[in-house]
Amino acid sequence: MGIALGAGLAVSIAGLGGGVGMGIAGGKAIEAIARQPEVGGDVRTLMFITFAFIETLTIYGLLIAFMLVGKM
Amino acid sequence: MFTFGMLDGALFHIGPIPVDHIIVTQWVIIALIGLVAFMATRDMQMVPRGLQNAFEALIVWTYDFFTQLMDKEHIAKKYAPLLSTFFLFIIVSNYSGLIPGAGNIPGYQPPTANWNTTLTLALITAITVQIAGFSEHGVHYLGHFISPSPLMLPLNLLEEITHPLSLFLRLFGNIFGEEMILAFMLYLVPFFVPALLMGLSVLLAAIQAVVFTILSASYIATATGEGH
Repeated sequence: MGIALGAGLAVSIAGLGGGVGMGIAGGKAIEAIARQPEVGGDVRTLMFITFAFIETLTIYGLLIAFMLVGKM
Repeated sequence: MFTFGMLDGALFHIGPIPVDHIIVTQWVIIALIGLVAFMATRDMQMVPRGLQNAFEALIVWTYDFFTQLMDKEHIAKKYAPLLSTFFLFIIVSNYSGLIPGAGNIPGYQPPTANWNTTLTLALITAITVQIAGFSEHGVHYLGHFISPSPLMLPLNLLEEITHPLSLFLRLFGNIFGEEMILAFMLYLVPFFVPALLMGLSVLLAAIQAVVFTILSASYIATATGEGH
């Protein structure tokens, strides 16, 4: 019971933080491209790298959840 | 079905070393990349045609890309082959999990969904960064560990560990998580929905390969750059 709750919380809290962060980063990137379309390529590359960084933190939560589920 | 990289039954032994399915898959991937490279360079000509032409354009583009990323041209020329190899190996490994059914048949998981493979790749990067720093700056490279002040020594040392650690966990977590979610979706909804997720995985696998390469390049660029 405790382990199942912990696994659920690990994914949901990590996903919550990552989602908010990605939303802000993506929104700002789109804003930048809309204002200055000629730098679109550079901004897009940077955006994907930033997303990968943010996603890593969410993935840590997912990994912990998998490990917890494996212990059940 | 999925292991966290523990040896789940070795196929055969070479001397004292057990060989499991992950290593055999890697051999196949290496052979595949080698075969394409061999086909492209089999009879090289001054005026390139066909596959050789495409590869030469790709290599020129790669050098330009890394030169732009790492600032110094001789550093980019020196490390571009290693970084390109990282990219090729990771992207072919990632895509090998998308062959229909591959993720669900025991013994056909992509090598990058196993932490042994990604830890090896991250360790290669970590060692290369140190070698690059020493070969570029000599003994002065040690100075960057105590910059801006000797108080920062523990933090600087920690950084050298967390960089490869995050490289290792990012690649492993993404591909392993993707494989797990695909398997889970296949179990919940056997039709259509897993196909959409696989489409997303095609994008994700490419992005992870690009990110690993770019981050490795930027770590090498930081170690060889000026400023310490």
